[in-house]
Amino acid sequence: MPPVKWLMHWHPSPGATVNSQILSEACGCAESLGGSKDGRWKTSIFFYRAMTRDGAGGPAGQQHPDLPRELLGVALHERPGLYFSIVRAQRLVLQADAAFPQVMEKLQSYRIRVALNFEGFQYQLGDFCLRIGKCVPNNSEALRGIMMEVEYYPLSSIKKSKAVMEDFFDIWQETVAKKSLPGQFIHVDSSFSDYGLSDQYSFQHTAVQYATCLQQLMAAVTVRG
Amino acid sequence: MMQQPQAHASALAVAPSASAVAPTVAHPQDPAGGDAPPKQVAQAMERLGRAGRLIADIRLGADRLLEALFVAGGAPPYSVHQHVDRMERVIVKEEAAMRLHFQDLRALGRQLEESGVLNGALKARGNSWGLHMPLVCPDGAVVAYAWKRQLAGQAGASAVDRTRLALKAFTDQKRRFFPHLEDEVLSHLHDGEPGVTKKPKLIASNGDLEEKSLSEILKNLENEVPNMKIFTYWHLDWSKRASSLASLMDDDFVGPSKELNLQNMGKSRSGVLTTPIDQVAVIELLVPSIFRAVVSLHPAGSTDPDAVAFFSPTEGGSYLHARGTSVHHVFKHVKEHADKALQYFISVEPSKALSLLLRWIASYQTLFTKVCSKCGRLLMMDKSLALLLPPVHRPYHQTSNVGPDLQEAYHIGCSSYDG
Repeated sequence: MPPVKWLMHWHPSPGATVNSQILSEACGCAESLGGSKDGRWKTSIFFYRAMTRDGAGGPAGQQHPDLPRELLGVALHERPGLYFSIVRAQRLVLQADAAFPQVMEKLQSYRIRVALNFEGFQYQLGDFCLRIGKCVPNNSEALRGIMMEVEYYPLSSIKKSKAVMEDFFDIWQETVAKKSLPGQFIHVDSSFSDYGLSDQYSFQHTAVQYATCLQQLMAAVTVRG
Repeated sequence: MMQQPQAHASALAVAPSASAVAPTVAHPQDPAGGDAPPKQVAQAMERLGRAGRLIADIRLGADRLLEALFVAGGAPPYSVHQHVDRMERVIVKEEAAMRLHFQDLRALGRQLEESGVLNGALKARGNSWGLHMPLVCPDGAVVAYAWKRQLAGQAGASAVDRTRLALKAFTDQKRRFFPHLEDEVLSHLHDGEPGVTKKPKLIASNGDLEEKSLSEILKNLENEVPNMKIFTYWHLDWSKRASSLASLMDDDFVGPSKELNLQNMGKSRSGVLTTPIDQVAVIELLVPSIFRAVVSLHPAGSTDPDAVAFFSPTEGGSYLHARGTSVHHVFKHVKEHADKALQYFISVEPSKALSLLLRWIASYQTLFTKVCSKCGRLLMMDKSLALLLPPVHRPYHQTSNVGPDLQEAYHIGCSSYDG
């Protein structure tokens, strides 16, 4: 049973940009809290766009109005054998085998338009695990965002762990604030119940949190036509 | 026969019944035995108990070593080094502990042999006051019950009483070795439900009903703390449950039926009163999604707690027992504190130790929500441990007549307890 996890992303102050210095400062904060670096992580997100009947993807086209325009695919670092699909419009999340993208490839009903990787280092802080990573498009080095995962190993209930996670988030923000960086980390509450998810944390919860966070990050990513 | 001064005889407080015991009375300072026979028997019983405990420790140590090897072997690829290093330390530490246990056991064995316990040598001696050293039979059973009664000064027991004692001793052994056979004998020895030991209920001076039996303690606790689930087990049952928790937790599928399964697993096997109460060796206290505490009783069926450990409800495996340690720092530190609390309860109020302990454990429901009573914060970075922990200390000292204040909680650094 996976432990609870909070996702946080970097929200730059108005006018500021996100850069790799912020990333290394954040890593420094993790180390100052006693974190010991113990590996790398990489989670990937794929944006699928619905294909129109004439074969071209895109906003204009003869699409059935009820079909969801987009589909998200999430490949989590902690379970390389699984693949998660999310239809945000219908609040659906599905756990499938890692071979699922091959099915999508054959069907050609939805095609990948953007692939994003979240990668970086992970730090063990006692019963907490911190993962700090940059968000980069699949075939580019351009830093589009900074994302963090915070896991608390002893607990799996979202309700029962809320106080501890909120407290950790406060401590983390205090630590980062000391570096006077142009922006702050934000945690966005996902409405898990909308997706039919229970209080027991699961990989589906993580997939939904990524979907929620990305709505914020997408503004910075160019969508290829 | 040697005449004894009256003072000596009464001071020894043992008056062997004339009808059933050999008339020879030995001088209490008999050089052949060193101590008087009653003391020898008492010592022998105590040593046998210690030997039993050492053997249990050795078994657990062996379990721990195996567990360490499994954990190291099954470590996920990105943290292999961390796991292997940690397991190496565990194995080295365990090896040292095991050596010590074996040494102690050997010494104890020698003492027992010398005092005639393991080979019945003293039976033939004439100065034994009619008392026999406890015999350890080849099947491991200890035949000593009737003689304990004599030591307690009830040697004047009549033939009926002796027969009853013998019957009880044999029934206990039968239950131990043939648990599947029905217990039809005991129902007319005790008035009340078969299998439930009725002890006199005493009202203590502060008006509280004193709980004397295990089932009373557990029933009262169930009523006082409704959101804590209590399960009881025999020794073997608990190992099975602990291992099955491991496989349940490993599943990638999470759904409402799984949570239901986890709750029901304990219920279907043994609720609070469905396990025959005089075989209960392990009590499991589960506050769903917060913690799972394991308390062992020694001997089985008694109200004497022996060890306690705390775990996350998501943990499973053979290391999950009263002498085991959680993989999570928070529960490791709660257990360290709990060990001290247990020793305190046993030394200060041995007859109430179990109910004090169980209520104290129940106060940990607020482990992840209650702020420290000293600094007002929930998470605190402990400087010496370099860990972020919630308040893991809860006071166990008695304040006035009432008992520890279970409303308070402290971080390790904020607590007034040592360590």
